[in-house]
Amino acid sequence: MKGNGVRQSMAWIHGWLGLIAGWILFAMFLTGTASYFRPEITRWMQPELAATPVSPDRAAQSAVDHLQAISPDDELWSLFLPDDRTHATRIFSRARANPDPDAPPPPRRPELRLDPATGQPLTARETKGGEHFYRFHFQLQIPHPWGRWLAGLCAIFMLGAIISGVITHKRIFVDFFMLRWNKGQRSWLDAHNVSAVLALPFHAMITYTGLITLVLMYMPWPITANYAEPAAFHAEAFGEDPEVEPSGRHVPLVPIAPLVRAASAEWQGGRASRVFIHNPNDATATVTIVRHGADTLNARSASITYSGADGRRLSASPAQGAGLATAGVMLGLHVGWFAGPALRWTYFLLGLTGTTMVGTGLLLWTAKRRKGATPFFGFRLVERLNIGAIACLPAGMAAFLLANRLIPANMAGRADMEVAAMFWTWFGLAALSLLRPARRAWTQCLTIAAVAFAAVPLVNALTTDRGLPESLVTGDGLFIGFDLAMIAIATLLGFGAWRASRVPAVITRKRTARPPVLSPAPEMADAA
Amino acid sequence: MTGRAVRTHMVARCATALVGGYAAAAGIASLIARLLPVPRVEATAWGMILSFLIYACFGLWAFHQPRLSVVAAVIWGSAALSIAALFLLGVRA
Repeated sequence: MKGNGVRQSMAWIHGWLGLIAGWILFAMFLTGTASYFRPEITRWMQPELAATPVSPDRAAQSAVDHLQAISPDDELWSLFLPDDRTHATRIFSRARANPDPDAPPPPRRPELRLDPATGQPLTARETKGGEHFYRFHFQLQIPHPWGRWLAGLCAIFMLGAIISGVITHKRIFVDFFMLRWNKGQRSWLDAHNVSAVLALPFHAMITYTGLITLVLMYMPWPITANYAEPAAFHAEAFGEDPEVEPSGRHVPLVPIAPLVRAASAEWQGGRASRVFIHNPNDATATVTIVRHGADTLNARSASITYSGADGRRLSASPAQGAGLATAGVMLGLHVGWFAGPALRWTYFLLGLTGTTMVGTGLLLWTAKRRKGATPFFGFRLVERLNIGAIACLPAGMAAFLLANRLIPANMAGRADMEVAAMFWTWFGLAALSLLRPARRAWTQCLTIAAVAFAAVPLVNALTTDRGLPESLVTGDGLFIGFDLAMIAIATLLGFGAWRASRVPAVITRKRTARPPVLSPAPEMADAA
Repeated sequence: MTGRAVRTHMVARCATALVGGYAAAAGIASLIARLLPVPRVEATAWGMILSFLIYACFGLWAFHQPRLSVVAAVIWGSAALSIAALFLLGVRA
């Protein structure tokens, strides 16, 4: 474990941190990277919806009109307004609890998705959409709160691995220019170093800010040191939660669109993204309007609260000091809402670099231990888990998209079936791959993943009227981009499969003069 | 050391890094939040922001320092002292 120097001890701990958390981190990085296109994935997964851009004030009004018709006496209406990337108004409403304390609490209502123009429920296939990848990347499909804790543990391991990796790797900027292909272990080390160093500020940022996104859960103790009631911190930091007892005196809710326009004017044209209406149609009604996170780098957006009875401006979220603003900007940097299309693609590519860094680190572990001795149990375990994570997860993600097109659009429970398709494919393929020798398993799993991604544009063209030819004719940028991205991913996976199948290439290169310790065994290329 | 002693030491070291490191980071971050001479809402934010860095540093150092007794004394000691100080100071008025 411990050599004499700090570099030896850091190299040791870097290896263990990466090994223990690597597979989960790989999945978190890959699904998190996909989440930069969360609204776009959701739109792709509901191809029957046409885009009709509607201003936030009109969308808010149409949603409130709908809620007035179906449940005017609720306790809370939460509206998530559409923007240029989403084309539905999402609504969560909460019924007032029965005043009788013995009565069961009112059942939680499902999310409602409305057409922003008409305020009528959208009729589209049921799906979790991009939300699924997003949720998975920090909840890992494990019941609350354990998934979030496990993700947090992996993230702190990642932070430790980054710091120890930097200390280990003193020649960090020299190796930046060193990528030696076809040199077995040396190549994996180079690939690991290049992908890590290339985007080191991004990796460090995304890991630290990822921890910050859930800091209130992971590290609430600074709050308890300063506040007897945690709610007081939330009020001071983010504004009062105007949850008050209803008076029981009926006062119709004021029109909502003028309030949204007033808030927007106060933000010098900043857009509204969320509206929370407490006690609608009561004398105590309040309307809290939250600014869109894409307007500022700080994702803890400003909000303004109005009276719902007469439209008076009641309060606004407090100005943030340096510390809170830092935390808000960290959150903003992680979620990337502020990023326009070019920056979002940059985020996406950097996220893939992070995925590559984790993946090549895992492959390096096996490449290092492959030479000579008979493979021991731990080696086989790591190699099989590498195949299961790196080659089989992408196949599962493709299966999720394919299931969206292949499960009948009006089938009950189809959203959960799509999710099930991802996990059955992922873990099923990983289990099946155990039947094959490791090198074949790499080639075949990567091939299956490549074919699955290549099938997405085809199945889309066969099952919808928004295939690539039609999208090109109508200039449907989202669907063109999605199809091209699927083809690019399939090509990348196909390239991986081809490299994994090419063993002899490495043997022929063995003659190059190198110290024997670095010379790769013939099977080395199976991870290539 | 026998294999068993090595294993026991390693388990103790991991527990110190993981659990003790968290406790020490929580204690020190909370102390920063409690004592930093800025408004309490700001100090709380800084404490939370710095907590993960403190945790990571304790965790890595736990595997750098060869002597387990030193590791345990410093990490568990920092946790105990900072948490005791927080109890003595009480919640900020």
